[in-house]
Amino acid sequence: MEKGYLCIVLHSHLPYVRHPEYEDFLEEDWLYEAITETYIPLINVYNGLVRDGVDFRITMSITPSLCSMLADPVLQDRYVKHLDTLIELANKEVERTRWEPAFNRLALMYQSQFIETRRTFMERYRKNILSAFKEFQDMGKLEIITCNATHGFFPLMEVCPKSVRAQVQVGANSYERFFGRRPRGTWLAECGYFPGADAFLKEAGMRYFFTDTHGILHASPRPKYGVYAPIYCRSGVGAFARDFESSKQVWSAIEGYPGDFNYREFYRDIGFDLDFDYIKPYIHKDGIRINTGIKYYRITGRTDHKEAYNPDWARERAASHAGNFMFNREKQVEFLFDVMKKKPIIVAPYDAELYGHWWYEGPMFLDFLFRKLHYDQKTVKPITPSEYLERNPRNQVSTPTMSSWGYKGYCEHWLDGSNDWIYRHLHKASERMSELANSYPNASGLTRRALNQALRELLLAQSSDWAFIMKTGTVVQYAVKRTKDHILRFTRIYDDIKANRVDEGWLSDIEYKDNVFPEIDYRVHA
Amino acid sequence: MKKRNKSGKKAVKKAVKKVKTAARTTTKRVRSVVKKVKKLPVLKRVRKVVSRVAQVVESPRDKTEETKYYPRPTPYLPPRQWEREELPDRYGDTRIVIMARDPYWVFSYWEVTDEKRVQIEREAGASWNDLRKVLRVYDVTGKDFNGFNANRYFDIDLHPSAVSWYINVGVADRSWCVDLGVITPSGKFILIARSNIVLTPRDSASDVIDEEWMSIEEEFLKLYGLWGGFAGASPGKARIKKIMKERLQQELSSGGLSSFVRPPNYKGRGFWMVVNTELIVYGATEPDATVTVQGRPIRLNPDGTFSLRFALPDGEQVIPVKGVSADKEEERVITPIVRKSTK
Repeated sequence: MEKGYLCIVLHSHLPYVRHPEYEDFLEEDWLYEAITETYIPLINVYNGLVRDGVDFRITMSITPSLCSMLADPVLQDRYVKHLDTLIELANKEVERTRWEPAFNRLALMYQSQFIETRRTFMERYRKNILSAFKEFQDMGKLEIITCNATHGFFPLMEVCPKSVRAQVQVGANSYERFFGRRPRGTWLAECGYFPGADAFLKEAGMRYFFTDTHGILHASPRPKYGVYAPIYCRSGVGAFARDFESSKQVWSAIEGYPGDFNYREFYRDIGFDLDFDYIKPYIHKDGIRINTGIKYYRITGRTDHKEAYNPDWARERAASHAGNFMFNREKQVEFLFDVMKKKPIIVAPYDAELYGHWWYEGPMFLDFLFRKLHYDQKTVKPITPSEYLERNPRNQVSTPTMSSWGYKGYCEHWLDGSNDWIYRHLHKASERMSELANSYPNASGLTRRALNQALRELLLAQSSDWAFIMKTGTVVQYAVKRTKDHILRFTRIYDDIKANRVDEGWLSDIEYKDNVFPEIDYRVHA
Repeated sequence: MKKRNKSGKKAVKKAVKKVKTAARTTTKRVRSVVKKVKKLPVLKRVRKVVSRVAQVVESPRDKTEETKYYPRPTPYLPPRQWEREELPDRYGDTRIVIMARDPYWVFSYWEVTDEKRVQIEREAGASWNDLRKVLRVYDVTGKDFNGFNANRYFDIDLHPSAVSWYINVGVADRSWCVDLGVITPSGKFILIARSNIVLTPRDSASDVIDEEWMSIEEEFLKLYGLWGGFAGASPGKARIKKIMKERLQQELSSGGLSSFVRPPNYKGRGFWMVVNTELIVYGATEPDATVTVQGRPIRLNPDGTFSLRFALPDGEQVIPVKGVSADKEEERVITPIVRKSTK
């Protein structure tokens, strides 16, 4: 009999980036990289576990904006094209590295990996990998949860509760369209919670969400079991908190597993390493070097000198890290069970893209971990939050504190000198959206289309990613442009509706460009 | 937008002029009118102020004149958005909004309309530029705030051109409300706008113990401490608080995809140089010939040319290139030998 539970949560998200108006759009690569390096490798792991009869549980949020992209035919076709180019590059690499066996072996590995990925994508899932995740959910292995429609960061939307509601409702409805049932729980973008946000989740029929460690440790009244049992907010929605210890083992740049010297070095990609003329067809059309996904080195050490990656050594390390992770969870659960006199739940959430994309061996680690948990011990049982709540319906009532899992634990990453200028526009647009929704409660025809599009534009502008990027300083121009574009489009619709002069041609154009959430109903923002 | 501002400004100027020419005793009445129409859209509001002010301060004859000089308000047509690439600086509101950034900091942004400035100038009896702009920050924890019952407040002097400010409130788990206002030369505070109320998040464990779920302090500290990796030991409240702060400094999320998180930095710091060599082997034969390089078949271009590119390590490479005619009757072998060494 188990003494406690382990709840692994993978949060997968990408901002809605889709530019059919351009032939080659750099930021669309984020999706293609993630499919090749994270989503399909995870699907492969799940398939392997199911095939081998390993009982596992993973909770996975797939954000509404990501779902929309994964289900979008334009992006699906572009992904296939992207993959074909990648396979072509891998073919060339196999030839080019002929006299360097250590690299040749890796080129062959990538070649077969990409070809296999293409087969999985095209033949097995017919370009829509959401159906893969849905299958695992229907088998009861995976619990897919939703997220704020466009990953809007709630603590900074507290003054616009209508927008919080819209983010939640649109997210839940979108989930239903993709997965054929209502979501049981949600991942609040960046774990961003403010007291009261739970009421909107309740309204949408959701039973739980997650906060960072201090969100619940600092809840009031003081939670008796710390982060090792969920609490119920006043609304009755459950809140689970991240366990710091298990997070640190994987995340930490210093002590974390992914920094092991035998693992693949992320920063040495042939897109940057190889001769420009040779690599040119495989990077951005304007000659901007990008990651191709073909990387030949291992971390090697704290040095610029890198040695060739050795997949066998890496595999061994992944197995031993999985063993170490499990051992630590067993000890942790035993200790907690002793103190609590109750089975603890250890919640270990990660960005899904850490697995595979950042940490190449990450999916393999998960594979080993669930196999070991299944065969090698009885102390810790993998669980989903829904299952936990079914078994433990009685929980303490308390209110988490405002918090996020971002830098310093609150809002600083999304509210600082680089990005604070956006909020006056976002808040104003939110106010105007409500004004519209209330002025036109029963719109039809063109006005209705315009109102629905206005809400799409508002939601897209609210993506926390734009503020995040502005602060991080990578593709700032793009993030600024997206924020402005959506606010300006919103404002034009607002003005046009009020002046009763909606331009159908223009509206059709932005409906085509910003085509997210086809089922949207502007009235959720009333 | 510009046009709109212009006509707005004109109207404001006109209104100001009228108000100024009116007897001082009517100021109060003017003020009450301004208050009443505050909620209307900008231009309409200005016009209304003008016409109402006119009503208040002018004779019936002036009123007739009024209608003569001011055309009937036409429906406001905002400029088309495609003419604009920038977001507006102002939305025509007088308001201040605050947001809690963390336990100790509150962010505020605001906007003041021209009309409001005029009103404030009049009320303060000084020009806008001469007035001290301040944020009055109220601790309203546990209060149903009415402007007078704050637990305490402090003022922050603003830079004249500021439209936003980070306020160091310094205390977690308190409710805050902020007034944007001016301080007159005589020291009087005049309110421009009052903010929403925010609660700064808690930065430590709550002291509120749930009776029903009561746990003893030591037991709680054990659990509280576990996340910090010191299970078993009771580390004490102060130390825990310190560690919690340190822990919040660490970034334990990747922020998703690398591509928008950080640029590749493998080059390390300082000067650096990398030299690699590649070898291109190229040639041509009959388009329907079969060619192998080092024994492996290669694909010819439609015109019979071929080009191969190899990473060239140190050492000697013997590269036999063998062509066989389509009818297998003829065969030719050419073997370049390349030696590379690095000094």
